[in-house]
Amino acid sequence: MADTMGHSATTATRNKSVVIGFCLLALAPQIFELIWSIGTIFGWGAGRGPIQVVAAHATALVAGAPAGLLAAAGGDTKKASSDVLLALIYSYPLFAVAVLTIFMTIRSAQDYVGGIVLMALALFALWASSDLQGMRGFSFGAGTAPRMFGGLLVALGAGIALTGLLSDGPTMAHYSWRGPLFVMASIVFFALAIRPLGVVVSAFVSFLIAAMGTHETRWVETIIVGACLTAGCALLFPYVLGLPMPMFPRFLVQ
Amino acid sequence: MDLFANLAHGFAVAFSPINLLMCLIGALVGTLVGVLPGIGTIATVAMLLPITFGLPPVGALIMLAGIYYGAQYGGSTTSILVNIPGEATSVVTAIDGHAMAKQGRAGPALAIAAIGSFFAGCVATVLIAVLGAPLTKLALAFGPAEYFSLMVLGLIFAVVLAKGSVLKAIAMIVFGLLLSMVGSDIETGASRMAFNIPELADGLGFATVAMGVFGFAEIIRNLDAGAEMNRDLVQQKITGLMPTRKDLIDSAPAILRGTALGSILGILPGGGAVIASFAAYTLEKKLAKDPSRFGRGAIEGVAAPESANNAAAQTSFIPLLTLGIPPNAVMALMVGAMTIHGIVPGPQVMQKQPDLVWGMIASMWIGNLMLIIINLPLVGIWVRLLRVPYRLMFPSIVIFCAIGIYSVNNAPVDVILAGVFGLVGYWLIKHDFEPAPLLLGMVLGPLMEENLRRALLISRGDWTVFLTRPLSAVLLAIAAFLLVLTVLPFLRSKRDEVFTESEN
Repeated sequence: MADTMGHSATTATRNKSVVIGFCLLALAPQIFELIWSIGTIFGWGAGRGPIQVVAAHATALVAGAPAGLLAAAGGDTKKASSDVLLALIYSYPLFAVAVLTIFMTIRSAQDYVGGIVLMALALFALWASSDLQGMRGFSFGAGTAPRMFGGLLVALGAGIALTGLLSDGPTMAHYSWRGPLFVMASIVFFALAIRPLGVVVSAFVSFLIAAMGTHETRWVETIIVGACLTAGCALLFPYVLGLPMPMFPRFLVQ
Repeated sequence: MDLFANLAHGFAVAFSPINLLMCLIGALVGTLVGVLPGIGTIATVAMLLPITFGLPPVGALIMLAGIYYGAQYGGSTTSILVNIPGEATSVVTAIDGHAMAKQGRAGPALAIAAIGSFFAGCVATVLIAVLGAPLTKLALAFGPAEYFSLMVLGLIFAVVLAKGSVLKAIAMIVFGLLLSMVGSDIETGASRMAFNIPELADGLGFATVAMGVFGFAEIIRNLDAGAEMNRDLVQQKITGLMPTRKDLIDSAPAILRGTALGSILGILPGGGAVIASFAAYTLEKKLAKDPSRFGRGAIEGVAAPESANNAAAQTSFIPLLTLGIPPNAVMALMVGAMTIHGIVPGPQVMQKQPDLVWGMIASMWIGNLMLIIINLPLVGIWVRLLRVPYRLMFPSIVIFCAIGIYSVNNAPVDVILAGVFGLVGYWLIKHDFEPAPLLLGMVLGPLMEENLRRALLISRGDWTVFLTRPLSAVLLAIAAFLLVLTVLPFLRSKRDEVFTESEN
């Protein structure tokens, strides 16, 4: 008895974290835009500032979307703003899923979460293609196919999530952070550094960053191999293959 | 006689020094990739796509093709000697091959694998040459409706042959289709789902997604297990490569059956080398008088899958060259390679680019010959390569991939996108989604949409056109039939059996 009690307690906590995860997912595009907008303070990129972003999305989520729903129900087809549409098409359905999840027993978290996230992707695609033209008579508009496949993927995602509720399966797999973090850091560094710093510097430094992805790295051999690889790439790509790319940091060349 | 003239022409092309060199490089790189676990064929072909920029188109495709079938050879070497399949296609070879190696018969196992592969390669080469022209004629009877139905059939095949849940495989295909919609609309030029990012206006690069989902994601996944993978090499000397008479007699029918099965599965859309080797192994086990020998060093268990995967790797070029439809992910990348060089894959390639098509076909035979030489006498060198620790290998792969992606468009954003898709791929693996159908969906997406739109435009919006045109109706019927079959419980258990067997 105590055993089953303990079991149900752990499912409850796990459910809770899944629900919180879904809520975050439902707000992910808004949060992403907010983070992106911080750059505008420093004058990077164009777009809305963070305060505008927060205000626009908050009103869309709290007031705009319900009003839009009511208007649509009343037959008023006034064009809603893209923030309101995002809330309507993407965030609300996912909040609804999150609320429903509280009452579910998840038998295979792997399938359930996988299905819901796919569904979220599809909903996002539906929102992204909502401004495109639909069918014109019998000819396809630009938005017809994306909407068709988006709708199909929503259904398929829901189906996969359903199998996660109905049949037993594996729980969530274990994610490690070290490998993904350093490999991604290395890739991002390379992307940012290749133009200003050139192949030699960016490849070598990226190699060292990527090597941190495992705790088994021995630094002496890593530095030797990294240097050899950098030299090899610096010869192979620009000279042997004739692909244009900067070799050395811009400030040294000038 | 046309056939011989064409083949002669092909050999003339393939024997030019530059193409011979490309063929050799392809075979060497393929073997290398096949030997090294943790880096797959798809990632390598994607990685080398940008490198082929500077090459003539024929040479470039010869090299990329060489990588694909070369990897089938290389994979068998490590499967047999160290029980580490370097490629998914040689997973089953490891079962009996390694058992033979433990009995001190590594030499004959390697030899039979190579002989089987070579035989299968020869047969497949002839098959491509023979089937190419008639299939091209058939392709001319295809209108947009038929093309659309054929692609649906291909995707359904990919679902049926994919591992695991059918629903998940379909979802992956649709996800791929959605990804392919990003960018400008073909007809109206409207920007779709591009979020005003200029680099997305042209659509997601195919090589970018492939490299992310197969290259970076694989690396991240492998790092989970710790960089130091378990590699206890069989440190005995390989003596006596020559198989005995009995070995040859035992394996001859298995090689024949494996070749036949592999050729068929290779041609079918959605198939490919992986499924061919599984199916051939299962077939041999079913046919054997004494199935218990399998798993304990039965030579048929090496001969059949090795011939099957090589045959399939080559015959999968048939739909690509004749219909312009890639049957699997590697062929999808070949489409990318062709497009880079301004060649539109499809029925017209055979007429317009005879050099390319026949040169490539002839080079496959030459490549197979080279592979025997590369693999058998030099086997020791390849095994020594396995001692390169993963902790040094993976940063090198990351850097090489990054430079490769950057050089496609000289766009740093592409590198970041590939990284993002690496994370997506890692997530997919963690949730047991298979990424290969995604890639196939992504390649077929634009083709499918275009043909669907065109078919509906011609029929003036009448959806029944797909059922009233006989060829299209037949293709769709086969697709529906297949889908029903997979969902049926009886066959489903059979399908699972094939896959679980390979994992044990």
